[in-house]
Amino acid sequence: MRKTWNFHGGVHPLENKTQSNQLPIVVMPAPKQLVLPLSQHMGKAGKAVVKPGDYVFKGQLIASAQGFVSANIHAPSSGYVSALEERTLPHQSALSGPCIVIDTDGKDQWGDLNPTIDPKLLSKSDLLYLIQAAGITGMGGAGFPGAVKLQPKSSIHTLIINAAECEPYITADDRLMREYADQIISGIQLVQQLLDQPQCLIGIEDNKPEAIAALNHALNQHMNIEVCVIETKYPSGGEKQLIEILTGQQVPNEGIPADIGIVCQNVGTVKAVFDAIVLGQPLITRITTVTGKAAVNAGNYEVLIGTKVADVLAFAKVDLIKTSRLVMGGPMMGFTIQDTQTPIIKSSNCILAAADLELATVADHHSCIRCGLCEVACPAELLPQQLFWFAKAEEFEKAQDHNLSDCIECGACAWVCPSQIPLVQYYRYAKGRIKALNNETQLAELSRMRFETREQRLVDEKSAKEEKRKLRATAAAAAQAAKRAANPTSADPIAAALARVNKRKQEQQTATTPKSPEEVYKELKTAAAITRTKLNKTSKALTDAKAQDHEQAAGLQETVIALTTKAAVAQAKLHAYETKLGLDPEKEKILQVSVAKANGTIRQLEKILATAADPKRIEADILNAKATHEAATQALADHQTNLTKKPTSAQES
Amino acid sequence: MQTFYFAIVILALLAIVFGAILGFASIRFKVVGDPIVDQIDKLLPQTQCGQCGHPGCKPYAQAIANGEAINHCPPGGEATIKALADLLDLEAIPLDAEHGSEAIRTIAYIREDECIGCTKCIQACPVDAILGAAKQMHTVIIDECTGCDLCLDPCPVDCIDMIPIEVTPVNWHWQQPEQLIATSSSPYSHGAPDHA
Repeated sequence: MRKTWNFHGGVHPLENKTQSNQLPIVVMPAPKQLVLPLSQHMGKAGKAVVKPGDYVFKGQLIASAQGFVSANIHAPSSGYVSALEERTLPHQSALSGPCIVIDTDGKDQWGDLNPTIDPKLLSKSDLLYLIQAAGITGMGGAGFPGAVKLQPKSSIHTLIINAAECEPYITADDRLMREYADQIISGIQLVQQLLDQPQCLIGIEDNKPEAIAALNHALNQHMNIEVCVIETKYPSGGEKQLIEILTGQQVPNEGIPADIGIVCQNVGTVKAVFDAIVLGQPLITRITTVTGKAAVNAGNYEVLIGTKVADVLAFAKVDLIKTSRLVMGGPMMGFTIQDTQTPIIKSSNCILAAADLELATVADHHSCIRCGLCEVACPAELLPQQLFWFAKAEEFEKAQDHNLSDCIECGACAWVCPSQIPLVQYYRYAKGRIKALNNETQLAELSRMRFETREQRLVDEKSAKEEKRKLRATAAAAAQAAKRAANPTSADPIAAALARVNKRKQEQQTATTPKSPEEVYKELKTAAAITRTKLNKTSKALTDAKAQDHEQAAGLQETVIALTTKAAVAQAKLHAYETKLGLDPEKEKILQVSVAKANGTIRQLEKILATAADPKRIEADILNAKATHEAATQALADHQTNLTKKPTSAQES
Repeated sequence: MQTFYFAIVILALLAIVFGAILGFASIRFKVVGDPIVDQIDKLLPQTQCGQCGHPGCKPYAQAIANGEAINHCPPGGEATIKALADLLDLEAIPLDAEHGSEAIRTIAYIREDECIGCTKCIQACPVDAILGAAKQMHTVIIDECTGCDLCLDPCPVDCIDMIPIEVTPVNWHWQQPEQLIATSSSPYSHGAPDHA
């Protein structure tokens, strides 16, 4: 018998295991629908590699691991992928997340399997690859991707198999060991092979004599494996506690077992390793305990991953009316589920259908009386009472200083608390807040960096612009200088330009010849006409405005008066110029009229001539009229000649 | 009398020696930068939102170091005020409502169909968290958005929404249990463990 140690604290709650460990494991047939969350473990969610409508065989990969801490997911049965959608997750938050939904076809038809005939020949990397490919995660409860733990950075001297199953009610590992002892031992040997043959200790509580016997029966003397029976005490199945019991060593604060050369695996996980390597089957089923007073057929069931809790409850004949609370996991560390459509995942070891009064109700809790029982019970040797105060007062830094992160949330402190304070919930709250605050700090740091980088960039851009501008300015100055050098006569470009302008002005002045009298006359005429037109327009506008009683009327009135004067002045100027030139527009008009009259007479006479009976007389008349017309034209021409001549003389005089 | 002069000389020598040491130390061990500003800056939430009236967190940190009130930062809220009060040994005062109230953290979301690609929001973003080019649709890098909402105003088509950060199983955490009730009728029982 190997020497064992003890860990601090621990409690002895009622075991409640006999309800479910009496009967063999029953294989539950594939349900109609399977719901597989893409994230069933810590780390990154898998990425779906099937789409709705695809047919999948049992064991076919449907979601692939993303990164190191992630796991593959396989189809637990054959059928069609019906949806990729958000469904309620088996998580404390009861939030929903992306799931692959498979409608099974009932054929349960396996895809291609690649069993290994002689696993002893496999290399370490092959073993690791097969374990990774099978999507194995920790089956004990936390569900940490299995392959991660199996590639430690330091060398491993001890492999510990966790078969303690310390939590009340749960018997899944117990039944598994009784029925699959050989497979478990083979699985352990494979893991030993992978970790360079460390010694193996199987930690199992003394309340499972049949399982202990089965394991011992499966072992033979030459194996480097030992079954270590330990005292039944909660939480001996905690990883750190079991390591302390079996080796006397403590895992360092914020460290992992591999730091002290130990790897710990759950008994269910090594069975999955056996299935994956020897049978070639990925992790698609698990043993789940269905128990509680409301379960008629309490026992252990081999269920497909993704089976809805509702289907499992129906298969185990759980009386839903009698059920007051459904808990996934055990009574100490599990969480209440509201939605029975939630699926079973790789880490779901128990469904507890509790009847009224079976579990303590969420009672009103009292004030802390500082009895110190929690400190006595704490398996992590923390000060639960202090942590409680800090969590309540939101003094998270102090809580961290008191090693809150070492709390395994086993619930022993809350179980012994006479005031029934939900201590674990306070610690979970504090842990969550600390994580959120750390994230915020990280984000703030990132933002600060980005802000400063941006400011620097803006400053750089500005100075670069300034630099460019200066460069351009010097380049332009140089070009100017070069130009000046090439053309030395114009020493100063501005003076030269001014001189050019002046010169042009002078030229223009000398070039302007005095206006001819005709032009002056024309201009005066135009000016007079423009003022007249303006006056007319404005007068019209004024009458309109007056008619509409517009407020602008007064202004218009003034304009009209001003324009009238202007028009008169323009007319007077024109007239004066006409007089000066000796022009007489009136006479010209009269002459023009007489010409037109004569012309008209001729036309009339010619018309009459066409139809007249007495053409000779009319012809004579026409001749007369033509003479008159000629005379009139002559007179007009004379007058116009005078006009053109006289101004010249006027100019001269 | 001789003793008296002797003492004065000794004291003078000591003063000179220590003065020299101090002078040397002040040059040799000179602290570069203004560490208090950096310390204050570390406590600020770095949203760079400008609600305090300064163009970013660092300028506000500088202003606090120069004596400005510590309650001008709405994104930081009470927690930041408390942390600043602890650091500067001041009294924690309530948030100045003039600068805004403490709100839940949001991130900007661009309705990409409506974005016209004007790049105005890109220029406004204090942390370069918006990606896009002229006449190309823009998008917010949500991991880097501080929720400062400085991009809202410049948007000519109002296609930016500030949406609260979605609660997912990854960022979800337990809430604090309801406060203790002073009187209770439920008897203390050891019958069954539970706090599931």
